[in-house]
Amino acid sequence: MTNSFQNKAPLLEVDRLSVDYGLKGNSLRAIDGVSFVLRAGEAVALVGESGSGKTTTAMAIAGLLSPNARVSEGVVRYRGERLPIDDDAAMRPHRWSETSVVFQGAMNALNPVHRIVKQIAEPCMLKLGMSRAEATARAKELLELVGIPADRGAAYPHELSGGMRQRVMIAMALACRPSIIIGDEPTTALDVITQAQILKLLGELRSQLNLALILITHDLSVVAECCDRVMIMYSGRIVEDGTVAEIFADPKHPYTKLLIDSIPNPANGKKMIRPIPGDPPNLVNRPSGCAFHPRCPSAMAVCTTEVPSLDKFGQGRVACHLHQSLQNKVTVHA
Amino acid sequence: MRDTADILRLENLQVHFPIQGGLFDRVLGRPSGAVRAVDGIDLTIGRGEIVALVGESGSGKTTVGRVITKLAQPTGGNLLFDGRDMSSERGASPLRPYRRRVQMIFQDAYQALNPRHTVFDIVAEPLRSLRLVENDAQLTERVSEALTGAGLNPPGDFFARFPHELSGGQRQRVVIAGALAVKPELIVADEPVSMLDVSIRAQILQVLVDLRDKHNMALLFITHDLPLAWLIADRIAVLYLGKLVEIGSADDITYNPRHPYTVALLNATPQIGGDADRGKLPALQGEVPSAARVPKGCRFHPRCPLAFDRCRQEEPPANEVGPRHMSACWLAK
Amino acid sequence: MTENIVQYSPRGRARAIKGFLRQFLSHGGAQVGLVCLVFFLIVATMPNMLVGPLQTAINATGDFLVPPSGQHLLGTDEVGRDVLNLVVHGARISLTIALLATVISLVVGTTVGMTSGYFGGWVDTWLMRITDFFFVMPSFVLALVITPVVLEVMGRGGDILGFRPSLFVIIVVIGMTSWSFVARIVRSQTLSLKERTFIDRARVVGSSNFGIMVRHILPNLVPQIAANGALVVAGAIYIETSLSFLGLGDPLQPSWGTLLSLAQRAGAASAGAWWYLGAPGVCALTVSLSFVLIGNALDDTFNPRRRAIP
Repeated sequence: MTNSFQNKAPLLEVDRLSVDYGLKGNSLRAIDGVSFVLRAGEAVALVGESGSGKTTTAMAIAGLLSPNARVSEGVVRYRGERLPIDDDAAMRPHRWSETSVVFQGAMNALNPVHRIVKQIAEPCMLKLGMSRAEATARAKELLELVGIPADRGAAYPHELSGGMRQRVMIAMALACRPSIIIGDEPTTALDVITQAQILKLLGELRSQLNLALILITHDLSVVAECCDRVMIMYSGRIVEDGTVAEIFADPKHPYTKLLIDSIPNPANGKKMIRPIPGDPPNLVNRPSGCAFHPRCPSAMAVCTTEVPSLDKFGQGRVACHLHQSLQNKVTVHA
Repeated sequence: MRDTADILRLENLQVHFPIQGGLFDRVLGRPSGAVRAVDGIDLTIGRGEIVALVGESGSGKTTVGRVITKLAQPTGGNLLFDGRDMSSERGASPLRPYRRRVQMIFQDAYQALNPRHTVFDIVAEPLRSLRLVENDAQLTERVSEALTGAGLNPPGDFFARFPHELSGGQRQRVVIAGALAVKPELIVADEPVSMLDVSIRAQILQVLVDLRDKHNMALLFITHDLPLAWLIADRIAVLYLGKLVEIGSADDITYNPRHPYTVALLNATPQIGGDADRGKLPALQGEVPSAARVPKGCRFHPRCPLAFDRCRQEEPPANEVGPRHMSACWLAK
Repeated sequence: MTENIVQYSPRGRARAIKGFLRQFLSHGGAQVGLVCLVFFLIVATMPNMLVGPLQTAINATGDFLVPPSGQHLLGTDEVGRDVLNLVVHGARISLTIALLATVISLVVGTTVGMTSGYFGGWVDTWLMRITDFFFVMPSFVLALVITPVVLEVMGRGGDILGFRPSLFVIIVVIGMTSWSFVARIVRSQTLSLKERTFIDRARVVGSSNFGIMVRHILPNLVPQIAANGALVVAGAIYIETSLSFLGLGDPLQPSWGTLLSLAQRAGAASAGAWWYLGAPGVCALTVSLSFVLIGNALDDTFNPRRRAIP
């Protein structure tokens, strides 16, 4: 499983992407030089806390940045072709037909006065140039695909439960046959049992339609269930990138280690609480050097001054001075 | 004789909200229904004990917390605190002695703090309104003590701040400090960490555990997260559609669940590297039905993969399946 | 240590107020409104120093209906009184009436609206029916009903707090007809505030209903009350002007409305005496407008997402 996607051609390449938010004249860097590659059919998780830049990264890829955000550096390539992510009009043909987004709050994203079948049919008519009858048929097909009986399509959003609404959101995202789905905390507002159902559905759709998935979440345990690869973000940078198995078995970055330790896990039977000291940094006063150094148990002098680069380490990548120094020692001895 | 071992005892507690029928229904004398949010719960909390109440949304877990903190009135059953029935007490001044002993921590700290009050005023409010201090010096001392206890150091730095000037974790600490200032014997914590960043959760849990360890406070920890309940609680009570389906020690519930719903919850909970026990039961279909239409018989039977005839007819009682371990399932004997 | 702490709390509040003022004062509408308002307030506080005592037919200084000139900047009226003198004294009377009426309407409206929204149930039902009753009551009719009562109580020549009976009637009438507007806004705001978790928390920490209303709900209503209060003042000036214009004013304490009424009766419009009609009219318009501007600016400042004023 670890290497099954390595050989495929990249579907999406994000290259040193930086996004700034303008705030009363001075700008704040929300994400800082984020690079990664997504291959067809691969499921990647972007994990981070609030303010880590995970949502900004995803919205930039989908070309859905808010008007006060600016792509200051970097490119995003889709099948080798540069995406005009900072040009709203030029991005329009790419949106929903190449990448589409499943948002968190399904109730806010659905129009309360239209029947759901109409809301799913709309993008089919606009994007795929279908007739109303064709689009309605397609919408019903999509509803069945996400596990909603087609006759429920006549319902209004408020008549559906939270889980059902999230299914409708997924059906809408699939309407224009995208090859990448971005799930922005798609299960955060749902109960565990419903969450399990939705995650299972996403997994099934992925293999059925050969979809690539970018899952944005703060919950590492969700990632363990349904992704191939995890990227841990902290304060706008990727700090660790690796396969799910690798990261959970042997996390390299101290932040990742602490995050995993802070999730109660009855499976390993250890009842202990190990708090990570301090608060997550905000964008205004990002710490110098490695942004995690004020909270890091193994911070060194160099961590306070130099930003560690995201270097290849085994199967994945890690941005930590500790590991760079360890690796250097290994090469010297060898 | 009153039972001194338990600080709180719920006996067949019920909260039914009447559904107002339309004018036609009322004129025609049609019976109006009720939302059976809490439908007969028996639960005890011992002194210094942490009990987790686990359930999905719509299970009535928040309502139970609101009844205990006297924000909602029970429509049936008893709420015994330290042996005294509190279920019919109401009004700010009659409840003052009770409120000195029972406090609450809320899920959304941002919402729970008045945006126009400073941290000092927020933490001082219970001390003032419950008449726990005699003068300003004492007030300041108790507020400082509470802020320190909740991990806000040095307390003086926080006095003049407004809630919007604090981080999410700090806000929740202020809410905790407000409850702590009273030095209660029981704290009801309604999803106290679910809105917080993962890296902050452990800090807040640590504060809550410290309250018990240092001050012997009892804690009712309301959550939807079974692993979290396992981590912090001595005992876990699992709630489904207004009724407890299983109660037992945290380890019993987690490692030896005896109700199909508990098993389903555990199966659905995403876990890191823990899939040894998966696949015993098929995943649950559908969602929790409305509390206005509680199914006949065992209320879990429409979704239960193991349901048989008896489940559709009779509601199972709480069967003892082990020491202090009860399961309301016909199969658990 | 204690002293240190006692100083802290107000400092936090001062900081919040300072931040609010900075934002409010940078608002264009607020600047215009405030400049106009301050001008009229200064004028209203010291009319005697600016233009001398109020002129009557006896101590009138000019000829009949003289157009504006160096001697009479705003001309004179039909008995030779200086219009500038009348308008400046009118400012004091108009503004006093408007502000007092607004205070009545805010106090009554807030109390009723908050009680109604907070307690709900039958209290809400009854208070809102009463509010509806006052909401639809025409101010002129109410004035006609009240005037004889007030005159009966205080006698024709007497005065209350320096106001002659007819002015007192106007204040009461405006107060009584405009509080229902405030009560409705306050009630709807209270309904949403009482669902907030911090009200639950206040109850759990032992606050009484009265304490919750005063310490938790009222401070959060201040933005609404302030923004709408400014609009109520504007409305009060308008009602005062129209009531006086219809003849309910007191010629011995002439407000802008009374002046308009006098000008109308003197045939100023047909005589082409634009200054006589225009001066009080423009004043009433400017002051109303500046209160509206301030009200909108307050609303903008308090909630940047700009909820439409109901």
